[in-house]
Amino acid sequence: MKKLQYLFMSLAALLFATPAFAQSTAAASPGAQWVPLAAGLGMALAAGLCGLGQGKATASATEALARNPGARPGIFIFLILGLAFIESLALFTFVIIFLKVQ
Amino acid sequence: MPTQTLFTQFLNQHFGAFTTSLLQAVHVHPKYPAYPITDSFAMELLVFLVLIAYFILVRMTLSVEKPAGAQHLAEMTHEFVSEQGEQIIGHGSERFTSYLTSLGLFILLANLMGIIPGLKSPTAYAVVPLGFALVTFIYYHYHGIRENGWAYIKQFLGPVWWLYPLLLPIEIISHLARVLSLTVRLYANMFAGDLVTIAFFSLVPVGIPLIFLGLHLGVAVVQAYVFFLLAAIYLSLATAHDH
Repeated sequence: MKKLQYLFMSLAALLFATPAFAQSTAAASPGAQWVPLAAGLGMALAAGLCGLGQGKATASATEALARNPGARPGIFIFLILGLAFIESLALFTFVIIFLKVQ
Repeated sequence: MPTQTLFTQFLNQHFGAFTTSLLQAVHVHPKYPAYPITDSFAMELLVFLVLIAYFILVRMTLSVEKPAGAQHLAEMTHEFVSEQGEQIIGHGSERFTSYLTSLGLFILLANLMGIIPGLKSPTAYAVVPLGFALVTFIYYHYHGIRENGWAYIKQFLGPVWWLYPLLLPIEIISHLARVLSLTVRLYANMFAGDLVTIAFFSLVPVGIPLIFLGLHLGVAVVQAYVFFLLAAIYLSLATAHDH
């Protein structure tokens, strides 16, 4: 119940906050005020989830290395590859944001 | 006039008019006719000149008895590339060592150039990584066809005949997506590295941006390695025999 109360309080604060934003960007196209918010949220989601994925990959790689230090070169290649592929997903988000936000 | 590095300005002063007339002969109109040479091209040219000078220096000072410093560096590079090639591509990787070495060195130098004040990373412009990716794409398809002949098409088809029409477009799209992902990975990493340094420089002008410059240094080396590694892996997939 307490949690719900907090949730509604924060939602109410957010709802009251919107008219304050709206006044300054009257000349711009409608919805332009949300662009920085959407860009920030999108990048934050991408970066956070990418961090989770990379953390998982690195954790498994270190574990495997601790179990079998002899397999270092093979593990290293796959670790770098995996990290590069995971990271490129976050970078796609970055590029899209960069293209869309002028 | 666009803001350009000193080297680009120098090139534009001496070769600008010639380049513009050359471009207009093939019906390309540069954005600034007085300054047709862009930063990315000038920096690429600089990397090219430095690498050529390095290779010539190594070739001139080759010696069995008294190897010089440049030769040690070249031998280390060669050993690293051929070891990686042997590990990833396996038998017959010697053929690709030259391409992989030049690709890796070029990207490494291009990435590290952004650290030096007065120069820019050419890889922070989308067209330069696109060039690398396209060359790699053509190169591995060429070697796939050379190695496998007509059987190369089998790599694009599934294991059974009724899957062929479904898998052919998927495979073609995935091969084209490799170009996109190679380009965007290198470009976005280099671009974002510069951007992060500038953003923190605008917040705290002293000290803190140095951390991100150090991070950028690490990213530059890792991304050059990743590009090299992916080129080697695509080559190994294309030249694999049994599929």
